[in-house]
Amino acid sequence: MRAMVIDDSRAMRMILKRIVSKLDFEALEAGDGREALDLLATLDEVPELALIDWNMPNMNGLEFVTNVRADPRLREMTLVMVTTESEQSQIVRALAAGAHEYVIKPFTEGAMIEKLALLGLVPTGANS
Amino acid sequence: MSVEVEVNENDLAEMVEQVWESYLDPEGISPLIPTYDENQPSEVHSSVSITGSWTGHIVYASSTSAARRAAAAFLAMEMDEVSEEDLSDVLGELANIVGGNVKAMLPPGALLSLPQVVLAPETTARFPHSERISGVYGVWDGEPVSISMWQSRGDNKEGAE
Amino acid sequence: MTLSQAEFAFVSQLVRREASIVLAPGKEYLVEARLIPVARAVGAPNVSEFLAELQRRPNPQNQRKIIDALTTNETSWFRDREPFSALTDVILPELVKSRTATRKVRIWSAASSSGQEAYSLAILLQENLPPGWSYEIMGTDISTEMVKRAETGEYSQVEVNRGLPAQQLVQYFERAGAHWRISQQLRRNVSFKLMNLTAPFPAMQPFDVIFLRNVLIYFDVATKRNVLQNMSKVLRPDGWLFLGAAETTIGIDDNYERVAAGRTSAYRARTGAPAGAARRV
Ligand SMILES: C[S@@+](CC[C@H](N)C(=O)[O-])C[C@H]1O[C@@H](n2cnc3c(N)ncnc32)[C@H](O)[C@@H]1O
Repeated sequence: MRAMVIDDSRAMRMILKRIVSKLDFEALEAGDGREALDLLATLDEVPELALIDWNMPNMNGLEFVTNVRADPRLREMTLVMVTTESEQSQIVRALAAGAHEYVIKPFTEGAMIEKLALLGLVPTGANS
Repeated sequence: MSVEVEVNENDLAEMVEQVWESYLDPEGISPLIPTYDENQPSEVHSSVSITGSWTGHIVYASSTSAARRAAAAFLAMEMDEVSEEDLSDVLGELANIVGGNVKAMLPPGALLSLPQVVLAPETTARFPHSERISGVYGVWDGEPVSISMWQSRGDNKEGAE
Repeated sequence: MTLSQAEFAFVSQLVRREASIVLAPGKEYLVEARLIPVARAVGAPNVSEFLAELQRRPNPQNQRKIIDALTTNETSWFRDREPFSALTDVILPELVKSRTATRKVRIWSAASSSGQEAYSLAILLQENLPPGWSYEIMGTDISTEMVKRAETGEYSQVEVNRGLPAQQLVQYFERAGAHWRISQQLRRNVSFKLMNLTAPFPAMQPFDVIFLRNVLIYFDVATKRNVLQNMSKVLRPDGWLFLGAAETTIGIDDNYERVAAGRTSAYRARTGAPAGAARRV
């Protein structure tokens, strides 16, 4: 399985990569939404999961989600927002745009794994 | 005639605690111990600016050694493997995380800037026309770390009643 | 600086006597780490002085603080998920058939810690009971601090990240400063009380379902048996008991039998229980 990690902070990408690798995902990286869409266009197989920051230069996470949801080829991708945006209204917006889950920064590794488990992306037993 | 700031010292302290729990001290063995010393020294700092319903800055400042240690914890590497780039990245992300959470507590309509990192001490001169309204000051494994909130004077009238 | 053997023994005896919790030897370091903030809060210069003073002059309030500090309060929303799915898929449909007279479901979250388990149950009942039905959830814990926190119903960002689906976060909580507060709609169906599970139970109305999870592990066998026996008196004859993933009644109390419940297992009274949908494992 493959997971795309989309965040303009390299440090945050490293944390997320470390977590998804533990769950046996191969990690792909992008620094913003535009870069992520460009990368997706070159891939034959769509990754199962994307972890998406909100505030990024060029194309933000919400726009990325909207784009992905409009593209039938990317329909199977599970989208998780991972962001400091934590107003209730922002979470509602992201879910309405098509994000499947939402993780607020700061998050612990355990919390991230529990969220991915909710989405059926963690082999049972890996989170305890 | 200024927007009431809805973020107090306790809120800030709680956010800081959560950052420690999540990234800097997941085992819960070396917390940030408060010193309440507003004037403790720093060698590096990072900040994000907020504009809109409230205007000001959130500043993360520490000694170089504490910054190195934060980067090592964040990136799961040894302290002597930490590059200057790692240091900047992590300092920027720390300011971003605290700033984003502060923003969420302000009245709607606030915008968060991308983080800025300065590998030099935090001084009042860097945040002209603003005053410190709250802060968490402490030592982490003996090294100074602070997170403070600065409100701009004068230019935060939008949205005020 | 770690605790001396005598100090560790004093603390072990205290928590064993007051909460039936067994502290394994070798945990001196952990005990000390947990007691440092307590000692600091009461103004003692260090943990040793704090304990010495307590030995000289027993003080129930400070004893309470030690018990609070040494109990593990680790919990999360919909923890382990399977028991909650079993409740929705298997148990509630059955209760909806059998409780037509009262149209009410009562659940106990025993050892409720900061309340996530009790409120998770409330979310689930809110979403799955037919219109016209009501529910009551009681949470109990030995820690005054935890009971207070659960009553407040406010959770930090880090806490709401843990196991709570985003959809339910925005639906059942509202932001309160740095925290998220549980909605009144759920809050009014949930109550919390201070209760030591190893002491005699107060009089209680029976429950349809009891969640007794991740607390028996701290007790010795005799205490576990005693708690399970008391539980059986307040569990309805056709009710269900859920234990933590690492806990069982088997070999401790034969009055329960383990039955399949969805993809996990639960425990029911061996005698007098109509077979219902339950199947022996
Ligand atoms: C690990 S938590 C379990 C919380 C929740 N049931 C769950 O599974 O997530 C254990 C709780 O048991 C409580 N506890 C420990 N000893 C107890 C006793 N003798 N009576 C009642 N509660 C007790 C602790 O205070 C703590 O909140």
